[in-house]
Amino acid sequence: MAPTPKDTSGSDATKHDQPLLEKDNNKPSSKDVTKKKGKNEQEEELSEEDQQLKEELELLVERLNEPDQNLYDAALQNLKTHIKDSTSSMTAVPKPLKFLRPHYPLLVSLYDKWDVQALKYKLADILSVLGMTYSDEGKRDSLNYRLKSNPEDDLNEWGHEYVRHLALEIGEQYQDNLENELTENNAPLLDLSLKIIPIFLKHNAEADAVDLLLEVEAIDKLPQFIDKNTFARVCLYMVSCVPLLAPPDDIAFLHTAYSIYLAHNQLTQALSLAIRLDDENLVQQVFDATSDVSIQKQLGLILGRQNSSFRFEDNEEVQECISNVKKSELFHYLVKELNLLDPKLPEDIYKTHLENSSFSGRSSLYDSAKQNLASSFVNGFINMGFGKDKLLDDGDENEAGKSWIYRTKGNGMLSTTASLGLINEWDVSEGLQKLDKYLYASEDEIKAGALLGIGVGSSSVHDEVEPALLLLQDSINGESAATSNKKLVSSAITGLGVAFAGSKNEAVLNLLLPLVSDTDQTLEISALAALALGHVFVGTCNGDITSTILQTLLERDFQELGNKWIRFMSLGLGLLYMGKYEQVDDVLETIDAIEHPISKTLKVLVSICSYAGTGNVLQIQSLLQMSSTKPTNKEEDNDDEETEHETDTQPAEQQDKKDTTQAPTAEGDSGVSGTSANEKKDSSTSKDDDDTESEGSSSGQDSSTPEDESYQGYAVLGLACIAMGEEIGQEMSLRHFSHLMHYGNPLIRRAVPLAMGLVSASNPQMKVFDTLSRYSHDSDIEVALNSIFAMGIVGAGTNNARLAQLLRQLASYYVREKDALFMVRIAQGLIHLGKGTLTLTPYNTDRQILSRVSLAGLLTIAVTLLDPKSFILDEHHALIYYLTPSIHPRTLITVDENLEPIKVNVRVGQAVDIVGQAGKPKTITGWVTHSTPVLLSYGERAELEDDKFISLASSLEGVVILRKNPDFMDED
Amino acid sequence: MGQDASMPGGNKDRKKDDKKKEKPKYEPPVQSKFGRRKIKGPATAAKLPNVYPNTRCKLKYLKMERIKDHLLLEEEYVTNQENFQPTEAKQAEEREKVDDIRGTPMSIGTLEEIIDDDHAIVSSSSGPEYYVSILSFVDKGLLEPGCSVLLHHKTVSIVGVLQDDTDPMVSVMKLDKSPTESYSDIGGLESQIQEIKEAVELPLTHPELYEEMGIKPPKGVILYGSPGTGKTLLAKAVANQTSATFLRIVGSELIQKYLGDGPRLCRQIFKVAAEHAPSIVFIDEIDAIGTKRYESTSGGEREIQRTMLELLNQLDGFDDRGDVKVIMATNKIETLDPALIRPGRIDRKILFENPDPTSKRKILNIHTSKMNLSDDVNLEELINAKDDLSGADIKAICTEAGLLALRERRMQVTAEDFSSAKERVLKNKVEENLEGLYL
Repeated sequence: MAPTPKDTSGSDATKHDQPLLEKDNNKPSSKDVTKKKGKNEQEEELSEEDQQLKEELELLVERLNEPDQNLYDAALQNLKTHIKDSTSSMTAVPKPLKFLRPHYPLLVSLYDKWDVQALKYKLADILSVLGMTYSDEGKRDSLNYRLKSNPEDDLNEWGHEYVRHLALEIGEQYQDNLENELTENNAPLLDLSLKIIPIFLKHNAEADAVDLLLEVEAIDKLPQFIDKNTFARVCLYMVSCVPLLAPPDDIAFLHTAYSIYLAHNQLTQALSLAIRLDDENLVQQVFDATSDVSIQKQLGLILGRQNSSFRFEDNEEVQECISNVKKSELFHYLVKELNLLDPKLPEDIYKTHLENSSFSGRSSLYDSAKQNLASSFVNGFINMGFGKDKLLDDGDENEAGKSWIYRTKGNGMLSTTASLGLINEWDVSEGLQKLDKYLYASEDEIKAGALLGIGVGSSSVHDEVEPALLLLQDSINGESAATSNKKLVSSAITGLGVAFAGSKNEAVLNLLLPLVSDTDQTLEISALAALALGHVFVGTCNGDITSTILQTLLERDFQELGNKWIRFMSLGLGLLYMGKYEQVDDVLETIDAIEHPISKTLKVLVSICSYAGTGNVLQIQSLLQMSSTKPTNKEEDNDDEETEHETDTQPAEQQDKKDTTQAPTAEGDSGVSGTSANEKKDSSTSKDDDDTESEGSSSGQDSSTPEDESYQGYAVLGLACIAMGEEIGQEMSLRHFSHLMHYGNPLIRRAVPLAMGLVSASNPQMKVFDTLSRYSHDSDIEVALNSIFAMGIVGAGTNNARLAQLLRQLASYYVREKDALFMVRIAQGLIHLGKGTLTLTPYNTDRQILSRVSLAGLLTIAVTLLDPKSFILDEHHALIYYLTPSIHPRTLITVDENLEPIKVNVRVGQAVDIVGQAGKPKTITGWVTHSTPVLLSYGERAELEDDKFISLASSLEGVVILRKNPDFMDED
Repeated sequence: MGQDASMPGGNKDRKKDDKKKEKPKYEPPVQSKFGRRKIKGPATAAKLPNVYPNTRCKLKYLKMERIKDHLLLEEEYVTNQENFQPTEAKQAEEREKVDDIRGTPMSIGTLEEIIDDDHAIVSSSSGPEYYVSILSFVDKGLLEPGCSVLLHHKTVSIVGVLQDDTDPMVSVMKLDKSPTESYSDIGGLESQIQEIKEAVELPLTHPELYEEMGIKPPKGVILYGSPGTGKTLLAKAVANQTSATFLRIVGSELIQKYLGDGPRLCRQIFKVAAEHAPSIVFIDEIDAIGTKRYESTSGGEREIQRTMLELLNQLDGFDDRGDVKVIMATNKIETLDPALIRPGRIDRKILFENPDPTSKRKILNIHTSKMNLSDDVNLEELINAKDDLSGADIKAICTEAGLLALRERRMQVTAEDFSSAKERVLKNKVEENLEGLYL
């Protein structure tokens, strides 16, 4: 009869699932052997030790029940020790709690009877613990008695399970109080919470601490409790909660995390939050927090990555970092180190000899000018930023490049010339030198191309002089504008938009704004100007531009609003509000004033831009609802069409059209019916006389259709923009897309591949490009075109061999489709973007910051491609250059404090999500050691191999300044 | 410019026609992937994202909530669309079409080899092998060499795949009806119960506890100890208690007649377990296959050893098994291969000893509670005797006593019955021991 301690806890485990015992004593004796079966189940055997404990507890309760107050204190103390000492197993209720259960009501009544405060405190203390297990759901006894007990008590002595339970009840109670409008009761809850927080933080439960403060809406109280050991984990947790929280909690979290980082001198992390909050004052605060120039430079480099317009007046060098002046130099260093100096020819990546040889020989037969144009783009993409190429720039000899330019036609020459800008990306002076001679070419296209190239080449790089602005503004308000050469003007506008994306440059504003409002200009110019302004002032909510664009939309002729260019006007407006969902309501109201159906498109565009990257589920829901098709209207629509065509009683009039289109019909339906109308027209030209009329009407309708109801297409793109904000949304959106593809109308289907590309830009996941490659054989050629392009986006800059292989197959499959082949080439070029050193992903700094400029570029291309045949595949392929601001090197370059590159060893591996994990888990897995500079693919992270240097940036990405570690001791 | 926008609609259709005319030859849309790779293909696209961290916290809750929201949206969208354009009718129609193409009498063959995307070699049941085409509607992901396929009766082309289900032997092992024994039927063994609960049940029900602590939950336990100490009984109780899938096999079942069958069965068991995760696999008498490896010339021996190697791989191999816990039971842990019971495969070794007096009393109470005992029976006597009794022995004594009473046509068991029953049982035991001496 010697039950070991193990034994007791074990029996506990066995019995916890049986009904807890009533008060009666059952002594295990030989008599019990004769127990009946039924009785056996109700009663329970207790080991002697348990029995003793039980009796002791009962005695203590008895004593409390007696009138003698002197005994109370000791009894309570005893009771407390018993409860505390119970070493519970994981699987069962601690024993003393179990045995005290029958006495709980008695103790509760005792509490009401007693009147000595000190004793009441103690009893409440115990009751609070007991309440954790006994009280019924919703009564929250544990909390009630905690509030009644001595506020000086140490909560921690009851163990963390109790504290946690308390936190739960506080949260519930707080919500209840809010609902019942008993807010005055919340003050004690808050006090108690603030007592609990330090306990949580001390016990590695920072998640609980944050959660509790979130429940009681006091997250701003957090910083005072954080010390240098806890801040990193707390902030990490908070920041990863942000995309999932509903406003305004998310903003509050960011602010709190920001102030914690700032307080603990983690300036780069504070800066990235300040960028997320998009508050210049906060950015300024970060800069003010240090006087260390090196750190300020590092901050500047991070800002530069965002194409930020922030001005830092105190130090010239820091400003240079923000303006990306060194970008080209560092990129050249990278290229040299990686031994990629040799320029590549498009053929090097087409690898036509690997294509299915039976047709590839003939590919040159088809529209060689178009293929040459594609090659120019590809050449630009693969040699982007290298400053050298083989196609256009053969040594010093001018003629070689020229001759290539003349191998393209019309606007092709424009884009080809402009691709020189891509090749000399970020290197303003070199680019100017190379393009200069083309400015004096005889052909307008080449001149225009040179202008665009200058803009492209100086994208995101700024200095005091801004040569791009000087050169480009001439052609906008100079003499060429007077001669109204549209091409020059529009290229210059696009060039400005690309060059100054995100810079908020006032000069550009003054230059372009008149073009937007001037109704004498063609719509194309106005719209391009609006788009360029949208890029330059992305996410600023600039009031002038907003009102000008809206005004223009109101003033323009009703007919013109159906024009295909109008989408860029809308997009320009949308970009202004990128990420500014809290300020968008006014604009949406104003848009309602526009009577044209375009207002719907406008609204969708503005709202998707404003919620971009938030992952907001409500927005996603409304977008999904928008993209639902409603066939009831379809029938009506068809009826309309039929009546139009068959009865020919009445030529369709503007009003009529407006009715059909304004009804919330599914756009694709009318798209389809539009096509059928065209078909009918083709087949029956001779048959009907009314065709002239109906042609007029239907073409009129068609020209307006893409704008009137294309909101569904934008809605799909919007899904991508919004869902890209957090990983769950990203993955779940792929499911939505497959449904949309399944049920959607042609317009939606066209948008889906683009949206998939947006969501996983430069992130070639197998499942994404598998799906895309399936869509790339779709019977709707535009879906196929977009899928091909999306494959390029998904693999941009990764050199992904599988994607390259798929695209080669597509190249031979579409060998006779010049448009599709063009697209395949572009996609191939994108995959080898900068020979695999660049990326398109709009996220940077550990996937924390969404670069608005990058997203704007991607979104612009996606919007353009909603109707691929009217822009990219038509004459306006130069719009592809709007991708330029989205392209960034995907590197880690380490530099010393004078920004001179140095080599150190770093480990590069797949990033691991370590939020809320216990201990100090590794942040990367499967790492390989490299010496910098290195390329980082999507989802990879780097860390320094040894502590010889200290990194001034929190996340090793982009350009990182290293400082010698003063404490470092060489082991030798 | 405005005119251009009107083009896509018309253009598109013309393009489509062009393509049909120009298309040099039919090309399959996407390179199809044969065989197992399917598992990693589109199926994963439908998988829900994993939620990290595993700790109990708001972040996890929010993430789960977010997934739920998205799923609700999906449901809303799909139901809306279904209402507008029902697909069921279309599907039925397509199915009919497929059935038409398949033709009615079909024969069954075995896929021998896949030549290219739409050709394969099959052997029909009658013997000869054919080079045949694979029809386009056949799910290529399911095709793998060796699987049974449906063949068209005339052209012998492949018109369908017969999914080979898991071995019926495995499905037999799945426990549909839980055993009646529960933890309350076990006398004593408290610490063993606690250990097995911590190692097997808790990781399935509360994985976050382990995550918070920052440890990986144990993968499996081995129960060992002398015969009759309740190893199997405990496993039964676990099966009774848990809601997880419970697979039980005996080690000797893994020894099969044909070469390779044993390892295959072993693989399939774990495959079934993974499919039905969370699950518990209980392998009784593991020493049947798990003995130490040694040089052996007999083919049978080697096959058994190979089976064990497969088991080793399944326990802690390259692929993560996920939520599959393993319980093994044996009498002779010392004969087992050390690789089998190393930590990582089997993290906890639970020793079952003969019961101490308290446990003895409990066991006795359990067994005698359903018996008619006369008043003179004093169980304490039995308990306090210094004999080395296992749980099974005690049960045997009770049964023997009952039998003795029956023999004398009494309806009550007396103390005398018990003492003679004990004698008989102990005698058998002693004889066993003596036998050992002669060897």
